[in-house]
Amino acid sequence: MKFYSSAILWSAVVAVAFAASPLSAQPVKAKASAIQVEMIVSDEIKLPAEFQISLYENLIRQLEKQGGFEHVYRDGDRRAKDAADLVVLHSTVRGFKAGSERTRRVTTVAGATSVAIHCEFKSADGKVLLEQDVNGKVRFFGGNLRATYDFAKKTARVAHDNFSSSQHKS
Amino acid sequence: MKRSKFLVPIAMTLAFAGLAVCGSKAQQSSKPANNAIALTGLPGVKDNAKGTLTVESGKLHFSYGKKSSEVNTASIEDVVTGEDTQAAVGKTVSNLSMAAPYGSGRFLALFRTKFDTLTLRYRDENGALHGVIFALPTAGAEPIKKELLAQGAHTTAVEAATNSSSKEPKQ
Repeated sequence: MKFYSSAILWSAVVAVAFAASPLSAQPVKAKASAIQVEMIVSDEIKLPAEFQISLYENLIRQLEKQGGFEHVYRDGDRRAKDAADLVVLHSTVRGFKAGSERTRRVTTVAGATSVAIHCEFKSADGKVLLEQDVNGKVRFFGGNLRATYDFAKKTARVAHDNFSSSQHKS
Repeated sequence: MKRSKFLVPIAMTLAFAGLAVCGSKAQQSSKPANNAIALTGLPGVKDNAKGTLTVESGKLHFSYGKKSSEVNTASIEDVVTGEDTQAAVGKTVSNLSMAAPYGSGRFLALFRTKFDTLTLRYRDENGALHGVIFALPTAGAEPIKKELLAQGAHTTAVEAATNSSSKEPKQ
């Protein structure tokens, strides 16, 4: 009986410890009310034009949806100069594997498309605030351009988790 | 009586052949001249909207339903066509084939026709960069591109092609 009660006590302690750990690990979000998205750079890796545009457009769309910024500016937008707490996102393609939608549909395991992109969030004066590699993949179903949507969603999530229009602990 | 036995199958064969020829001709003539899909990026237009793409008086028009969207040709920094665009158009085709019953989408994917893409980059009045991707029937992008270039658009594809051809060894 004593053994069971101590086992229950220990399991409760462990459960509480696991539940509490993510809260303490959450980072402080940097203040950024606006973000400017630069065009995706793919100098070293030949990326189809439609892929590059799709990455850029999806990224802007996802940042508008779930990035948590008051303003999302495009590459070259002159209005960004006046924005307070501006973060500039530079994205460089580091890897690209053009899969095959046909192979995916037939085999359901082969033919994955993937794109690896190095993202740098910089302040307006060029100081690097955050660097992260983000992958976009389409494994089982969907067209190749869906990899760009996957990348955009993940990057918007990174931005959402690390920046906020009002500085606070999440 | 014997003669009619031979004549009937021959007549039927000829009739079917005639129908097949008429059908194929009808398909060719009913094919729209410019059946475009705005895959993504066109402001105010939903992704995968089907419509007509035309270049007129210094503007690229995309008409769909009763609405239309236009881009100034002079503001276009880059026009690129894609020859092997099967992968790029997969998004739309997969959406269409998903609606097909009993998993026939997978079967249809093996036999679907290739599309051509037209990718544009342009800047709006604030200098903001926009990208647009259109899907067009095979070989449908090149005439639009030529028209755009004639009306003030720019392209990097010509420069790239010129550079690559100049590097090729003379035979």
